[in-house]
Amino acid sequence: MLQGALAGLAAGGLYAVLAVCLTLMSRLVRVVNFAQSATGMFGCYVAVHLSIQVGLPTWAGTVVGILIGGALSALLGWIISTWLAEADIGTRSAVTVAVLLLLISLSFILFGNKPQPFHPILDGPAFSVNGVVVSQVTVVTVLLSVVIAVGCRALLSKTSFGLELRALSERPTTAELMGIPAKPLAVAVWAVTGLLSTLVISIVAPSQSNDATSLSMLVVPAAAAALLGGFRRLDLAVVGGLVLGMAQGAVAQVDSLSVVRYFLPFLVIVGLLLWSQRKEVWDVAR
Amino acid sequence: MSRAETGPLTRLGVPLVVAGAAIVVGYLFSVGLDGYFVYLGMSAIVAGIALLGLGVVTGSAGMVSLCQLTFAAVGAWVVSGLNRIGAPGGFLVWLVCGGVAAGLVGVLVGLPALRLRGINLAVVTLGLAAAADLTLVQIQFPGTVDGVSVDRPEAFSDDRNYFWLGTIVLTACCLLVHFLRKTRWGSGWQAVAFSERGTAAAGASVRTSKLSAFAVSAALGGVAGGLLTGQVGLAFPASFTAMQSLALYVLAIMSGAHLIDMAVFGAVLWVAVPELLKRWGVPQDWGFVVFGLLGTHALTTGGNLGTAVRELWRRRSKGAAGVELSAPPAEVDMPPPGEPVLVVRDLSVSFGEVKALAGVNLSVPSNGVLGVIGPNGAGKSTLVDIISGFLPQATGSVELDGRPLNGLSPTRRARAGLRRTFQQDRVPAGLTVGAYVRFVARRRLSSSEIDEALEFFGCPPAKTPLRRVDVGARRLVEVVGHLLARPKVLLLDEPAAGLPHEEHVALGLRLRQVPARFGVSVLLIEHDLDLVRSVCDTITVLDFGQVLASGPQAEVLANPDVLKAYMGETELL
Repeated sequence: MLQGALAGLAAGGLYAVLAVCLTLMSRLVRVVNFAQSATGMFGCYVAVHLSIQVGLPTWAGTVVGILIGGALSALLGWIISTWLAEADIGTRSAVTVAVLLLLISLSFILFGNKPQPFHPILDGPAFSVNGVVVSQVTVVTVLLSVVIAVGCRALLSKTSFGLELRALSERPTTAELMGIPAKPLAVAVWAVTGLLSTLVISIVAPSQSNDATSLSMLVVPAAAAALLGGFRRLDLAVVGGLVLGMAQGAVAQVDSLSVVRYFLPFLVIVGLLLWSQRKEVWDVAR
Repeated sequence: MSRAETGPLTRLGVPLVVAGAAIVVGYLFSVGLDGYFVYLGMSAIVAGIALLGLGVVTGSAGMVSLCQLTFAAVGAWVVSGLNRIGAPGGFLVWLVCGGVAAGLVGVLVGLPALRLRGINLAVVTLGLAAAADLTLVQIQFPGTVDGVSVDRPEAFSDDRNYFWLGTIVLTACCLLVHFLRKTRWGSGWQAVAFSERGTAAAGASVRTSKLSAFAVSAALGGVAGGLLTGQVGLAFPASFTAMQSLALYVLAIMSGAHLIDMAVFGAVLWVAVPELLKRWGVPQDWGFVVFGLLGTHALTTGGNLGTAVRELWRRRSKGAAGVELSAPPAEVDMPPPGEPVLVVRDLSVSFGEVKALAGVNLSVPSNGVLGVIGPNGAGKSTLVDIISGFLPQATGSVELDGRPLNGLSPTRRARAGLRRTFQQDRVPAGLTVGAYVRFVARRRLSSSEIDEALEFFGCPPAKTPLRRVDVGARRLVEVVGHLLARPKVLLLDEPAAGLPHEEHVALGLRLRQVPARFGVSVLLIEHDLDLVRSVCDTITVLDFGQVLASGPQAEVLANPDVLKAYMGETELL
């Protein structure tokens, strides 16, 4: 069990980072971005293509891939904040569903529908606990998730840039009237989350099932983790991601429970929703 | 202009004639088309039924459902399972079982989505689709591993006849959706998509509306899956992937699948686009890229093919319908106000540090109209929200006809005879005036009853689509609907907002007759003092969440405190 749980921690770190991205997006730019991990997937596939077909060194390919992930995300953000500036979160998020479909099929066309021959960026064990090996990937992703969450929190609460972002998310019209540049800020948030998710997917993808659909559907466990924090709290999103990853890893040890493993994120989502919606909530303030 | 809605003959007859024609066309296709096209047509029929379901949940009820093919997989599972064990009844019975089973799964999945906004449902359904994807690959469908293929019904065993059976099933599903739309459920779907508050205020359960939409959609998905299994004989997980569910959702949005013809058209696209790409030698994955692009376009512009085509067709008829209130209403005998029917005691609520209302008492007499006035931010709308049950955290008591209402949901209060209207537009644009009034009234109404009430308030005729009614008139249609529900008390939150000023007094004259004509007592919240003066014998004044004065009109309006708070120091009255 422990071995499985620790093995699942790498995935947990990945979920945690994606959950942080989802939370940031939902808080700051009013979107549940279903294409969050698909953007990352696309960036990684470009990186693999560059290093395998074009012959770029792995690190250079990866950097280009990450930049492309960020750029894709920024483009999507620009589209949404241009045409759906006033739309509700439902419509804005529905667009990302269409983009998710678009990115998966585009990657099928460009890169085929087989898993990609990733070169691992990080490889080998970091240390071992009670004879259970913890890989470098695990250490880096877990650290990354914590660092990103803490960093974002500090950025939002301590800096004037963060203040502007919060103003924009809570009182968009007032913020715009005060001269805060709404659209560039929103696009920046999209770009940053795109960069982060491509980065973390590049790190973990070589050691995961990495076909386009699996990588794109990482948004499901990430959403489960983000829901633990109610799409508001970064710390709980990280905790949720790590715990979910470990739980999946532990369950994966038992063959008879493999179906349970597939349904774990779904069950977590349903459970959390039932809990958080136990009191009646109305759709609009009045 | 005739105010009558269409008669029962057209209401029932036209859809049945169209359905009959569709079945005949289906037969002609099944004998006339090339075998390959019959096969493609069958795929389109399957997609059409699935899209029809999505049209209900996403188009009518406004929720995002991303697992339509998972429900199809449930239907396929049940059909192949029943076939495997040789269950009695044959294919058609199994197909219905598959639909019912998928509907039940839909209810189970939808349960956590009861109070969910669209986006949470999207997360839940995507989660289910992803999990089902992996699970199906691992466990496979019953009969697939040992190659037991599903028996088609004897009369429809070859591909051409099976295609004809498909058209019949599709037609039946279209009829089902068409008639369900005309029921209370259907109106509830439209209402809940537009406003949950508005739905609850009409005494309809938000929960039932959402769940029924989701269940109907899932059941249609199940039927589609079962039909597909009959087509190919063996069900394979590759037919039910999350990717395809996503694509179907996008297609439903893009084509406007809440319109039945557009669901069918979407199904044709579903088959035609990849087929054409194949013929042109383009990889078929471009099909989903095309759907993705068109879907993004449809979502960002807020339009879809269906509405675009319909607007061209109807060539934008004349513009908005409004209110005509010029002539004064006929006199009626006014019964004198009686015992209090709505009694509110010690009502308080705070939002954080702000005390929005503190210790408010008031009572509405039966056959009376009580006016509540006050400056902006005095807590008038909050008062309506509390009385109608939308702010359960409020303290104090609300009694309707001697019966305490504390702890009841807005829906229950509405059913108990306490109705309210909203300051904002909460009228779903997808219905006609008549259908909306029937939905809000929650009781059997004759057409003449509706026409009379609409005419009394100068509203557009019953058959006018609400889409073409201006906001001021929509809010009066809302008032008419609630009055026809014959509640004990109706709370009106600034009903005149949105009307031209010269019609305020004309509206006032009508509101004054409401207790006599409809037997409904009224609590009227209003800004316009002319209107209040023309309607209300008694007035309560709120200021900073407290009752400043209360009593007969002349006395209250002469009170110097009221003058000061409400009008400022200057003489405005």
